[in-house]
Amino acid sequence: MHITLGTRLRIRSTIHMAAEPIPFFWPMRTFIHHNPLHGLEHLKFNEAVEEGKRLFHGRVYLPRKIYQHYYAEGKVDHESLRKGFRRFVAKRGTVPGIDMYAMIEALALQLPTPICSRLDMAQVSDIHAALNQQSIAATEDEAVASASKLLRDELLGDRLVYEAMDILFGSRVGDELDDLVINSCLDFFDEGQSVWSMPERQLGFFKAWRDVVSRNVPFFVRGVRIGKILDEADTPEEIIAYVLEQLGIPEQEWLGYFTNELVRLHGWVGFIRWRASAKHYYWTQRFPGDLVDYLAIRMTLALALLHENEKCQGHCTRDEIASSIDQFPEESYLRSELNQGCVLPEMAHNVDMAIAGGNQANLKKVFAEYALKKKQHEAKSQADKLLELAGRVGAESALKALSVDQLEQLIGIIRTFEQKEGLIFLRAMEDKAIKHLMKGVTLESAPAREKRPFVQALFCIDTRSERIRRNLETVGDYETYGIAGFFGVPVSFMQLGKGSETHLCPVILTPKNLVPEISVTEIKDEAALTTLGKAMHELKESVLAPFVTVEAIGLLFGFDMIGKTVAPHTYTHWRKHLDPEKPTTRLLLDKLSREQADSILRATQRAVILAAVVHELGREPEEVSDDLVRNLRELALGRESLKPECADNLGLGDQDLNAFIESLREHYRINDSFAHMQLERLGRIGFTLDEQVTYVGSALRAIGLVDNFSRFVLLVGHGSASENNPYESALDCGACGGNHGLVSGRVLAQMANKPQVRRQLVKQGIKIPDDTAFIPAFHNTTTDQISLHDMDLVPSTHLMYIDRLNTGLTAAARLCATERVPTLELHPDKELKPAIAFRNAQRNSMDWSQVRPEWGLSRNAYFVIGRRNLTQSFGLDGRAFLHSYDYRVDPKGRLLATIMTGPLVVGQWINMEHYFSAVDNQRFGSGSKVNHNVAGRFGVMSGNVSDLRTGLPSQTVLKDGLPYHEPIRLITLVEAPFDHAKQVFDSVVAVKNLVKNAWIRMLIVDPETHNVSLYERGEWKHNYQLSTELAAKPEETLAS
Amino acid sequence: MMDMSYLSLLLIAIFLPLFPLSMFFNSLYARLKHPLLRMVLLLGWPLTGIYLYGILQPEVPDWMVSWVLATAVFYAFRLLAMREVGIWSGYFATSAWACLWLPLMYADSDTTLYVFWFGIPLLLLVLLVGGLEKRYGAAYTELYGGLAQTIPRFSGVFVVTVLALVATPVFPAFLGMLNILVASQPLVAMTLVVLWVIWSWAGMRLIQGMIVGDPSTEVIEDLSLIYTWGFGALMLLLVGAGFTLTGNF
Repeated sequence: MHITLGTRLRIRSTIHMAAEPIPFFWPMRTFIHHNPLHGLEHLKFNEAVEEGKRLFHGRVYLPRKIYQHYYAEGKVDHESLRKGFRRFVAKRGTVPGIDMYAMIEALALQLPTPICSRLDMAQVSDIHAALNQQSIAATEDEAVASASKLLRDELLGDRLVYEAMDILFGSRVGDELDDLVINSCLDFFDEGQSVWSMPERQLGFFKAWRDVVSRNVPFFVRGVRIGKILDEADTPEEIIAYVLEQLGIPEQEWLGYFTNELVRLHGWVGFIRWRASAKHYYWTQRFPGDLVDYLAIRMTLALALLHENEKCQGHCTRDEIASSIDQFPEESYLRSELNQGCVLPEMAHNVDMAIAGGNQANLKKVFAEYALKKKQHEAKSQADKLLELAGRVGAESALKALSVDQLEQLIGIIRTFEQKEGLIFLRAMEDKAIKHLMKGVTLESAPAREKRPFVQALFCIDTRSERIRRNLETVGDYETYGIAGFFGVPVSFMQLGKGSETHLCPVILTPKNLVPEISVTEIKDEAALTTLGKAMHELKESVLAPFVTVEAIGLLFGFDMIGKTVAPHTYTHWRKHLDPEKPTTRLLLDKLSREQADSILRATQRAVILAAVVHELGREPEEVSDDLVRNLRELALGRESLKPECADNLGLGDQDLNAFIESLREHYRINDSFAHMQLERLGRIGFTLDEQVTYVGSALRAIGLVDNFSRFVLLVGHGSASENNPYESALDCGACGGNHGLVSGRVLAQMANKPQVRRQLVKQGIKIPDDTAFIPAFHNTTTDQISLHDMDLVPSTHLMYIDRLNTGLTAAARLCATERVPTLELHPDKELKPAIAFRNAQRNSMDWSQVRPEWGLSRNAYFVIGRRNLTQSFGLDGRAFLHSYDYRVDPKGRLLATIMTGPLVVGQWINMEHYFSAVDNQRFGSGSKVNHNVAGRFGVMSGNVSDLRTGLPSQTVLKDGLPYHEPIRLITLVEAPFDHAKQVFDSVVAVKNLVKNAWIRMLIVDPETHNVSLYERGEWKHNYQLSTELAAKPEETLAS
Repeated sequence: MMDMSYLSLLLIAIFLPLFPLSMFFNSLYARLKHPLLRMVLLLGWPLTGIYLYGILQPEVPDWMVSWVLATAVFYAFRLLAMREVGIWSGYFATSAWACLWLPLMYADSDTTLYVFWFGIPLLLLVLLVGGLEKRYGAAYTELYGGLAQTIPRFSGVFVVTVLALVATPVFPAFLGMLNILVASQPLVAMTLVVLWVIWSWAGMRLIQGMIVGDPSTEVIEDLSLIYTWGFGALMLLLVGAGFTLTGNF
């Protein structure tokens, strides 16, 4: 099949658009929190969740029962909830004899589940009859008409052809197709987990798959004739066009059809989508693959399975399905009821037998009986539920007295309410959270300090920093600040001994500067045990090794297992001694000059040429002089002509020498274009002095730290440490792209400690005293420990204070663990002593059976942008992102705009990831960790074959079956004069849209007027007049 | 004499059901909806067969073994496609009762016990079917999955009952099957192993169709604690009795 370029492009662009609602999925090594409905953020929250519900078949609000539980616990604002009910009822008119408000309130607060269910057969008149205990009858024509309409609505339109077949014929093509596609994805996208990888992957996803599948013996034996389909076309676009033609999908329906096809495995699709866009990604460069390939494979397999499946014969196109419905509406309806599992249980066997028998007369008879029973069942069930509800408000008689039209109106109101109640509950929960926050906010200025603080510590805005900051402030003279964990410096980091780059910044940024890590101590030989460990690992991964080595070395793995299980703390401590210590390193932070870069390049080229001479010509290194190497280099670069002495020295004839020079150019890349590329790469290393000054100045100004510097300024990056946890990076620093934040701290500290940088900063009005030392530190969020790094760079005059500093940090860590660890224990109400809590936290980080080493960012609710004093006196229970900001040093609002553009957006992603993982953990989250398996080293699956699990595991957001993370939208509070904040808000379009579309709820607290403005329903409402007296008043007063 | 013997065999083959005479049992079983009547039929039918075998003492030709095994395997296969749990229990009973011919042929004195080793779990299954019909209107697989979350105690009882029925280790049916296997010729034993695998497969399908899946949002009453404990005690008793009375190898 040949298609025009236009059709080809149309297919590609339609697939591109169809995939828009599916969010990227980044490899789990650097877990990126994201909004599962990111592609729908252009819509209002309530519209987007409805669309998300339709596309992903997930729940988008909590079940009513859980909201009722929160209501009983006082976590839902009563007044706001009632206001929501009143507003809803006011728009809906009245039903005679029924107090609609009371009924809606009873429905929402007393009945545990929704009462309006889908009505296939019953009409309102039937419900009316059931309410008044009259008989319900059905005519056959009416039933057939209802069945036909239902089937047409459900099985045609955007519905995938094989899904319709599965519903009509129970063929289960969809499930088998998913399994086959997942296996193909696992084969192709594998990143080193498989010992035997798929051949020819460098050709691309579709071509490599095509090559393999054409030799698939099981398919051949089964009669799945994929080859026949593949023979019809060469390119993925042509295959897609061919399959669409075969299935009878018209062009105007491609978009919806593709979307439905893609969302079936939205985890894999999100990963492929991200991978195709990540041009720098190593595996993308080696093995390219995109969604067009994916869809071509999927649709080829789908068509082949449909053709092979006996049940689907003669029904493989949209038109054939439609004609089947028209010809046999009774049978089709019964089949759909049975295969979708919604058949009336008491009729299930009869229906099953009638379908198996295939006798149309009998099928019609069973259908007539079934339709009547279904009608009666639906009507009675609906009537019973209405009566139960009416009974709660004493309106049974009024309900029975309603006319059919009035009953229809009532059911319509209830049905609409049940669609909207989630949002009403959600808003009421958020209002409660807002009031809670406002109770703790204080605008009183901090008292002037007589002396500088002992330590100033910059922490990440991460919610887990709130606890450690609060506790650190209580144990001594510590001043803390919140800043995005990459400290405002986007860095591409190359770790010592690694060849790949890691981006240490939010994923919305792309770092320009490369920072390699270099060792300043002698690199020791690998310890024998490390080598042994590697050998063990390789043996374990080999295909044949288990057959021959399990008896011999299996016991060694047993020791490891026992040690990790029985005494994780002691065992891990002991094992640490077996691993070699990491050498002391520095970061190459300064830009190279042109001369330095040239010199490095020359040295590298010379080393390569020497190696080539030794390797290719078999000469010993001592036989090759520097002059000879220089000559060869010049020759390879074409700067000199061939010299006879050069050939003599190497003992080569002219022809051989020419061949060797050519080899240097071709294979060893001693040529101008490669040298140019290397110079470009070298040019990425480090930062210019101006850049360093800018980054340090911006970071300090962003948090309002421009004077009164203390002796120590800690730059505390954070990360987690846990065992056997594919989700470990989800617990690391989101602002560092899901990596540990220590390197970012080291980068800024190294910059800020430079005298040249400080001299330049003085010109910007930031005078850092000479005795101020910036020290990088690492906060392990699993154990609460804070460790100091690069201590060899600390001036000797400061060393006498280090002991005090360490004592303070340990005390804060213990207090933090005391607060946090009980929530992870079986009995959260039991108080723990600090020492025990601290020890338990450490155990959590080493226990390989621990599925919940820490809660991570669970329960996040607030994002506070302002001075520390704003919430310092108020424990926020690890629920707030705290970004320090002082509007007084930001007259143009640039710093606030930066905070909104970066950290706030990342915070919103984190918040939404938690929201959806909590409301529907199976669909938007990743289910239980217990049955997770690592897939291809980049994701996890549930069991051995499943979609890639994209969200957070149940152990992160649920506890005892209920959400531990209370899902609400991010409540953002900005402390700044209203006009100043609003001006910035209006200028940052991304955030403005998020707030306008209600993905974020935003408050502005004006420190000058003490007025609090809340953005609600499209406008700023200046509801709250905050003052010391008002803040102390009961919340009811505030609500008014 | 020979004709009488065949008549005896045919008579016994109604009660130790062999296809197509097994249709009597299944037809009657399907018509009886009341759990109590089904329970009486489940135990009474094979015991009648054993009793008749005892008094008629028929001469069983060798080819009967093939008939027995074919019937057992045939009904085991039918279990795989059957979704109505009540009828499922009838098919299982047919498959198991057909196998009783083998210990009778081997003059195994424990044959009557085997009826109880399979029969007691079958009776419990019939009770559970009644429970499901009361709660959902029918006992049908893949219709209202997720029972493990909706009615966890009931689900636990259901799973253990099915495991006991398909002769999982420690349950007496397992010991009974082992006894029959040990006494059988290799080819017969191999067929019995295949039969056993199909039973297990069918059992797993049954459990999977009922227990796993998305739970319903409706609030369904679970089995009471007393009944659950009672069931647990009965199962312990059954296991103990199995080891005491049959575990003699």
